[in-house]
Amino acid sequence: MIDERTANVGIGFRKEFAEEFLAGNVLSPAFVEVAPENWMGIGGYWKKIFKRVAEKHEIYSHGLSLSLGGPDELDWEFLKNLKSFLKEYDIKIYSEHLSFAKCDNAHLYDLLPVPFRWDAVQHIAQRIKSVQDFLERKIAIEIVSYYTPVAAEMSEVDFINSVVKEADCNLLLDVNNIYVNGFNHNYDTKEFLQKLSLDPVAYIHMAGHEKVADDLIIDTHGEPIIQPVYDLFDYTVQILPQPVPVLLERDFNIPELTELQFEMNRLENICTKHWRNELVTA
Amino acid sequence: MLLREETYRQQSNFAHYCRTGEFLPIKGVDEKRVHHYSRLVFNVIDDTLRSAFPLTVDLFSEEEWETTTRRFFASHRCNSYSVWKMPFEFYQYIISSEDELINKFPFLDELLLFEWTEIEIHMMEDKMFPEISFTGDFENDVIAFNPEFKILQMKYPVHLKNPNEITETDEGVFSVLIFRQPETGNVQFTDISYFFYRLIQKIMNEQKPLADFIGEAEQTFGVERSILLTNTIPFLMELQQNKFIIGFKK
Ligand SMILES: [Fe+2]
Repeated sequence: MIDERTANVGIGFRKEFAEEFLAGNVLSPAFVEVAPENWMGIGGYWKKIFKRVAEKHEIYSHGLSLSLGGPDELDWEFLKNLKSFLKEYDIKIYSEHLSFAKCDNAHLYDLLPVPFRWDAVQHIAQRIKSVQDFLERKIAIEIVSYYTPVAAEMSEVDFINSVVKEADCNLLLDVNNIYVNGFNHNYDTKEFLQKLSLDPVAYIHMAGHEKVADDLIIDTHGEPIIQPVYDLFDYTVQILPQPVPVLLERDFNIPELTELQFEMNRLENICTKHWRNELVTA
Repeated sequence: MLLREETYRQQSNFAHYCRTGEFLPIKGVDEKRVHHYSRLVFNVIDDTLRSAFPLTVDLFSEEEWETTTRRFFASHRCNSYSVWKMPFEFYQYIISSEDELINKFPFLDELLLFEWTEIEIHMMEDKMFPEISFTGDFENDVIAFNPEFKILQMKYPVHLKNPNEITETDEGVFSVLIFRQPETGNVQFTDISYFFYRLIQKIMNEQKPLADFIGEAEQTFGVERSILLTNTIPFLMELQQNKFIIGFKK
């Protein structure tokens, strides 16, 4: 999954910087991640932009609407369209969230926390399996940040490990989310990572957040990555059994592209520091 | 389903709270924090609708906007998986469920549709462009139109006048042509007369040259052929410059 001897650091694609990104060479990501819901079934200006991006860069996709953790039926019409979109642009990675975004037939356009319960494990794992069968690939599911538990009957880490095991899927480890959750729910993030099944980790996300109260962080993706999250990333990279691609997410409050490249370089340096040997011998 | 009814109930109550602000019991939820979810969820709705309907935002009072968008999100179940399509559902909701607003602003349905159509034309999937030649004769060749367009027939000039100034006395017959420029992807709209609306439809449907229709128009409108042509051709040339007319059928 990773280039020889170079770390694989990508960027979340935003319309806000599309023109500048395509016009210059300031940002040089190893890949570009997009939300399929924003780029499927469109034409005109944005389709042209997307095609140019896809010609120059490898595309990863990160879904928003599938609601794997939700009670509603999977949206097969969406999945059908998604499958042809992935094929059309030769997109090898599709990831989604371990959360729900649709309930009682209504989309909420956000990532809501699922109940950490055994029946939810089985329900979600079965849905992930159906999606994997249909898309004929493994998908990676992301551990989301959350601000309150909902009807939990088991620990978060047991819940995640169980889902991944039952579904036989990959894990998208958003290190910022782990930091945010550790802060919000008062647990030790390194301990959490030690308990987490790391073998299925196929992909890492990194992002910034916003502290809105002394005891609460909201995962805004609107700020630069803070030092403690870099530190946790450094730790994660050391304990991961294998090198994986890393993504910088910045969704709001977009800075100069040089700043984004600077953050990507920092991530790349950390990866290279720990992964070089493995990469050289790989 | 593997999900227990009771687990489903927790999720349903949580989602219900996010949509409506009405709190039904949810086990183990942190009541000091849960409001962030309803705030964040509604922000997305509000931001998306504000950028889709800037003219309507301007027309409504802040309170009207706030209460209407909240009623929409609480009572309507959004069906679009792509959030950019959700504003169309807002339009559908208003025309089916907000009689009071429609009575207050009799042109509101047209204003919302006009604003939505700009997004729709901007985003819609590419259409096949016909094979054409760039040069030709407006009168005797078959004019080829850009297929990426829509014409809205309206009773109020929502495309011509500041909505805050539209009154019942503005009622009339209006047609607005909304199309996407092939190279830039920009959306343009232009007011067209009923005559041009019919003419464009006829040429598209029947694929015949303008000359064939001018004869008919002479009879229908009782206007001389040469006058019809001198009034028609300059406007068609303008449409060609704007890339709504892309050339002539080969
Ligand atoms: Fe993420």
